[in-house]
Amino acid sequence: MNATATPSNIKVITGNAAAAIAAKLARPDVVAAYPITPQTEVIEQISSFHASGDMDCELITVEGENSAMNAVMAASLAGGRVFTASSSWGLVFMYDAVLATAGARAPVVMVNVNRETPGIIAVSSGQQDMISTRDAGWIFLIAENCQEILDLVLQAYRLAEDYDIQVPVMVHYDGFFLSYLSEGVEIPEQETVDQFLSVLASQPKRTMLRPGEKLGVGTHGILGGYMELRHKHVTAMERSKAKFDAIDGEFADVFGRSYGGQLEEYRTDDADMVLVGSGSMCGTIKSVIDDQREKGNRIGLVKIRMYRPFPHQALIKALKGKKAIGVVDRSLAFGFDGGPIYTELKAFETRLGGAKLVSFIDGIANTDITKTNVEQMIRMTKDLSDGRDVPEVTWVSYPEANKDKGEK
Amino acid sequence: MPSNQFFNHEGPWSDATEPLMCTDTGDWRTKRPVVDKEKCIFCGFCAIYCPVQVMEMTADSCFEPDLGFCKGCGICAKECPKNAITMVSEGEFVS
Amino acid sequence: MAEKKKGRLTNVLDYLKHDDPFSKGVAFCPGCGLELLLRFIPRVLGNDIVITGTPSCSAPVLLGQNRQSWHTLSYFGTLMTGAAANATGLVRYYKKAGIDNTVVCFNGDGTANDIGFGNLSGAAERNEPFIYICYDNEGYMNTGIQKSGTTPYGATTTTTPYGTVHRGKNLRRMNLGLKMAMNKIPYTATATLSDLEDLAKKLLKAKKAKERGFCFLHVFAPCPTGWGADPADTIEICRQAVKSNYFPLWEAENGKIRMTKTVKKPKPVSNYTRMMKKFNHMTEKDMKILQDDVEYEYCLLGGLSVLEAECHLPVSAEDGGEKL
Repeated sequence: MNATATPSNIKVITGNAAAAIAAKLARPDVVAAYPITPQTEVIEQISSFHASGDMDCELITVEGENSAMNAVMAASLAGGRVFTASSSWGLVFMYDAVLATAGARAPVVMVNVNRETPGIIAVSSGQQDMISTRDAGWIFLIAENCQEILDLVLQAYRLAEDYDIQVPVMVHYDGFFLSYLSEGVEIPEQETVDQFLSVLASQPKRTMLRPGEKLGVGTHGILGGYMELRHKHVTAMERSKAKFDAIDGEFADVFGRSYGGQLEEYRTDDADMVLVGSGSMCGTIKSVIDDQREKGNRIGLVKIRMYRPFPHQALIKALKGKKAIGVVDRSLAFGFDGGPIYTELKAFETRLGGAKLVSFIDGIANTDITKTNVEQMIRMTKDLSDGRDVPEVTWVSYPEANKDKGEK
Repeated sequence: MPSNQFFNHEGPWSDATEPLMCTDTGDWRTKRPVVDKEKCIFCGFCAIYCPVQVMEMTADSCFEPDLGFCKGCGICAKECPKNAITMVSEGEFVS
Repeated sequence: MAEKKKGRLTNVLDYLKHDDPFSKGVAFCPGCGLELLLRFIPRVLGNDIVITGTPSCSAPVLLGQNRQSWHTLSYFGTLMTGAAANATGLVRYYKKAGIDNTVVCFNGDGTANDIGFGNLSGAAERNEPFIYICYDNEGYMNTGIQKSGTTPYGATTTTTPYGTVHRGKNLRRMNLGLKMAMNKIPYTATATLSDLEDLAKKLLKAKKAKERGFCFLHVFAPCPTGWGADPADTIEICRQAVKSNYFPLWEAENGKIRMTKTVKKPKPVSNYTRMMKKFNHMTEKDMKILQDDVEYEYCLLGGLSVLEAECHLPVSAEDGGEKL
């Protein structure tokens, strides 16, 4: 614990409120947003802060999500700190601007409240919206609980606006499971947050769009120019991995809380078997792991906190030499034998020292990832570890899928 | 570290304190405006209506096109109230 | 030599107070209405405007190439879908940071009326303090002359071509200027290139009215390439459009419409249409439909302007209500 950490308040608040409060503490200049379930409370809270003078920002009540992202992108390129929030359909409605923001390297920070985005209208949790937009060029961070939502939003500003990075950051958290869940959250003092973000003020200023300065943004990249920009973007994303780990350390120094950076490893040191997951499911998984440990099962969890850029080096380091790895996906990928994050990790299978991988698909289409489901995943991963035959992909809440893969 | 060969910044910024780009649009035209100074009443219509703004005021109260950039559209000739400008084929000026 | 009879230098030159920030040689077609307009705006409003541009005929000139630019203005090259929202973000940040600015959101009719209309409507509703200028060349020109919402009845474009079954656009054009005036924004106006003094005055009025909020200018800017017209006719085409009431010139403060040029004896629309090939196929019946459409729209406009002369502005409209 650092002597400069000041005593703070613990309040019982929802995940959405945590996001709104974090945005308020970061002191953005411009906030633009449009309501969509399950994000609506975020902007209602911010509107309330704004109306009472607690938040001194320009609040733009836009007519659609596309305008929200366009407005904050422009305000960011003009030099402002910005915030927006959306979910699923709203995220894809603003997706052209999401891509443009990344390409323009505008340090926008937003929260995306994960909600199913399949071909039919669904009002339930799932990570398909995150998976559908994963390679836009944004940094993607994922929160497990309400405290982490607040903390990640603050860290997102520190990361996005870092002069060495300048990549927009999206903080994801599960809709319905975290958005409406009330938990005890330690809310930092404004001065502490100011202190944490003050390092940005001492860095060189990024390029800004101002009247009369003869700079223009959104130029064409011709000949090798476009290629140069794309390479710069990729390398900035690579740099953000180490930077995010360092920020975790800075955060711990100021607030007294550390998560581990790109990954959080829970009881993995002596584990033969590991589950890999992200988001709210990790809370359930940790709880089951504790139960299992008492029974003598050496099982651990690797929680992905930074999903993009894909933390493959950190994952290899954490997983190499494990006997069996069960990757839990809360979304689908088409044409693969497994979920999206599973297939991404599988690309590095040859570097995992012989570890075997299986895919679990759960928590989609209005289903919960229950403790029973997690126990089943652990059982199957243990079977894998013991050398038994385990199907490569299992839809935990929908056994019918395990029988019929659609192959002819 | 990536190079700064084409851009000075991480993102797609251009800087007009560097020399502006310029195309030799004078090469485009097939006709050029020829001004009859006797007829010219120095009203300035050719200057305001020229899309490229190449009509330059002369010392003797008339207008002359900057042939480096005149595209030969013919608006000046059409708009001149005194028909003082004629569009003449570029072929006439090849020596 | 006898003293040459001299006329007076046109008043328009008095409005061109600032330098032309554009490079002399830029890639617009010869006779392009857009080029004239784009060079005109900063010469009247000043070189410290921040201009936003989208993929369009203006993009190859407004947007630079790598680190180089074709002009010295501060600009923001962005997507058509969010142009007005981008401008919103800029002016809101500048307001927060206390930075004086004139943001000009410069778009074609494709962005303004079609793909970008949603956020244009939103910006007008929120009364954002910037000037939105729509240059209307009645089609998506940069992609090769396709029909837009403002393309007039009967015109041929590559998506409304002349064939044996369908002959040109079979839909009426939308009246973008009137749509915007109905939002009761501080300033709306139509202008064109044959009446440059009128255009200059309206630009300056918009700059002043911007202090109260959102301003919209609808500028008729012919495209000789897309319309099949002689490049030399660009200005005359504008003139004929005004004389036939095809493109009436008016302005509206807080939605109160006032004609800025009254055409006492409007000429037939055929005087205008015969100047361009896109109407070559029109039959007498087609021309009657177009003529009727033009007359009806003018009648609506005229009726509104007379009626609105009697309307009393609500008090809050004068000071824009709650200060934004």
